[in-house]
Amino acid sequence: MQYKSQAVAKPYFIAAIGLFIGQILFGLILGLQYVVGDFMFPEIPFNVARMVHTNLLIVWLLFGFMGSAYYLVPEEAERELHSPGLAILMFWIFLVAGALTVLGYLLVPYSGLAQMTGNHLLPTMGREFLEQPTITKVGIVIVALAFLYNVGMTVLKGRKTVVSLVLLIGLLGLALLFLFAFYNPDNLAKDKYYWWWVVHLWVEGVWELILGAILAFVLIKTTGVDREVIEKWLYVIIAMALITGIVGTGHHFYWIGAPEYWQWWGSIFSALEPLPFFMMTVFAFNMVNRRRRNHPNKAAVLWALGTAVMAFLGAGVWGFMHTLSPVNYYTHGSQITAAHGHMAFYGAYVMIVLTMISYAMPILRGRQAANSNLSQVVEMWSFWLMTVSMVFITLFLTGAGILQVYMQRYSTDPLPFMVVQEKIALFYWMREVAGLVFLIGLITYVASFFVGGRQPEPKATAMPEPAAG
Amino acid sequence: MPEGGPVPSATYPPGDLAIWIFILAELLVFAVFFAAYAFTRLDHVELFNHYQTTLDSDAALVNTLALITSSWLVVRGVAAVREGDHRACARWFWGAFGMGALFLFVKSLEYAHHLSAGISLSTNTFYMFYLSLTFFHFMHVMLGMVILAAVAIKAAGGGYSREDHVGVETGASYWHMVDLVWLVLFPLVYVMR
Amino acid sequence: MMQTPVRIRSRTVVYLVLMGLTVATWAIGRAGLEGLGVSLLVLAFALLKGQLVGDWFMGLRGVRGIWRWVIVIWLVVPGALITLAFVLSERGV
Repeated sequence: MQYKSQAVAKPYFIAAIGLFIGQILFGLILGLQYVVGDFMFPEIPFNVARMVHTNLLIVWLLFGFMGSAYYLVPEEAERELHSPGLAILMFWIFLVAGALTVLGYLLVPYSGLAQMTGNHLLPTMGREFLEQPTITKVGIVIVALAFLYNVGMTVLKGRKTVVSLVLLIGLLGLALLFLFAFYNPDNLAKDKYYWWWVVHLWVEGVWELILGAILAFVLIKTTGVDREVIEKWLYVIIAMALITGIVGTGHHFYWIGAPEYWQWWGSIFSALEPLPFFMMTVFAFNMVNRRRRNHPNKAAVLWALGTAVMAFLGAGVWGFMHTLSPVNYYTHGSQITAAHGHMAFYGAYVMIVLTMISYAMPILRGRQAANSNLSQVVEMWSFWLMTVSMVFITLFLTGAGILQVYMQRYSTDPLPFMVVQEKIALFYWMREVAGLVFLIGLITYVASFFVGGRQPEPKATAMPEPAAG
Repeated sequence: MPEGGPVPSATYPPGDLAIWIFILAELLVFAVFFAAYAFTRLDHVELFNHYQTTLDSDAALVNTLALITSSWLVVRGVAAVREGDHRACARWFWGAFGMGALFLFVKSLEYAHHLSAGISLSTNTFYMFYLSLTFFHFMHVMLGMVILAAVAIKAAGGGYSREDHVGVETGASYWHMVDLVWLVLFPLVYVMR
Repeated sequence: MMQTPVRIRSRTVVYLVLMGLTVATWAIGRAGLEGLGVSLLVLAFALLKGQLVGDWFMGLRGVRGIWRWVIVIWLVVPGALITLAFVLSERGV
């Protein structure tokens, strides 16, 4: 570890992994409720489990992003973090607020939670993914501001690099766009319209900057390729991500009462959203092929390459499948969406956080650069278990989605929703099994932190000089 | 090898390869837009033909000539820096920047005219395409001008030389792309019916 | 890195051709000429102009391999699609 204050990243990463486990457990409960409707009813009804599953995802990814920033920024700025104490304080505030919110979801009926937290003073609750009580939302803003102040001051006082600047812009955008969570117009069309400014412009806008910056950082560190080369690619990728992603918001505006031109704008621009992800894949493999040395942390390199590939598949290919408005007319809100959502979130954001954890955690735990071979082998097993099972979850949901769209919407003789759900139950069962394998992968991942701790780490090797020419 | 000889000599086009990846991505967006225009027109031939006549093709002529001229000025700027004359390079690039400004001015007059007539993206399918396509291109002219200015400023300060001027070629390549797109857009939207 | 000087005169000739084709395109529109033949002629002008820009201004004529052809491909594919759409629209009307 080059700077002492990078250590504040560690609790953030641990909390992220802890909440990740919670998210997956609730995912399994949900998956079972698809086929056994009254499973755990009335203790944990479907809507509550879903809320916890999605909210935990967002919160642990935020923990992961913040931890990544706290690790990355001092190293890029070449100075200690502005205030490590503030970072730790915010960690506890965020963790306690997050835990209380989830407990509120689980223990109190949602309407009661709304009453308890004074939602009537500034109504913001009740919207998908933004279900948090207003007071929690205010807490998120405070934590985000303190966090931005902390990393912002560090960047401003230190060396300014493209990587840290892109990361900072991404994080700033994340905080600013979240403010639309407080705008809750009565007009349902407007409500949805601005709701997407948070949801879409996060995951298909500013989060891609965070993803790009972290990936670039890990690639600079592990491959030893010139910073200039990597930064150049980062520029091109984020420019493309922003052009396609921002106007691509239109692919959510097809059927909510927004003007008709969004069907064109949304279709054309979002159809090109796979481009930056494709570039990212080419970029990652290119940099690894041009590496100057074999970094001893093979697991981190595997995660980095995995991120590029899975983000392209999940966000790019699976997004493209149903983004054109004539296709989306049939597939909107079906299991196709669920398939895309699962692989995109895993491939782009879960994997980039795990990439950063994989790179940083050995160093944070006092090693030179990497875990022991044993630990890395276990970690790589977890990579494959989680990634392959996520591919299967996606494929099963896609199968379910295609059947659903056909029987319920496309067919000349459409069947009712619940009849169709019965018919595609087999796919839901298979998805649940794949989900269990994912959990095994996650347990393996956690185990990788506890094995081989006393064994030495592998040594870095220089790449042989290429033949003269 | 003398330039323009029988055997082409370079593996990569002039400028940074990254800008070419970006250029390709941009060209793809425009290609999709052009094809969408042409095929949507199929269902609304009369509407498209009628509203096309409401556009100001004189303004479009001025703008096309402005962009072609700016591209030629950029070519001269690249030629100058290859001769090692970075000051002349800056002057040529500022000239191209000026042509870009002329384009923006004329196009803004057109937009002002449409706006005062109450035309918007929702008026009809033709105007939706016309406004979308030209405005998306308009944004590219603005971005291109920022790049031209950045190159011109760096060139004037001696930031490029006969040996090292990839940045000039990078900026030039992007600007030519902005011109290239307009060369197809102009007949498609203003003339072909 | 290529360090050959750019020959200005040939670029200026290309520039004048581009200007001429532009004025011709504009004149066709101004004269109110229409129909499939006219449209395709104007499109052909545009594709030729694009090719001149790619070759002489962007410098692709001095490049070998796939990069030599990127602009050509970009002109031919949308050009073909536009042609197809206009041919179909002529039939439909």
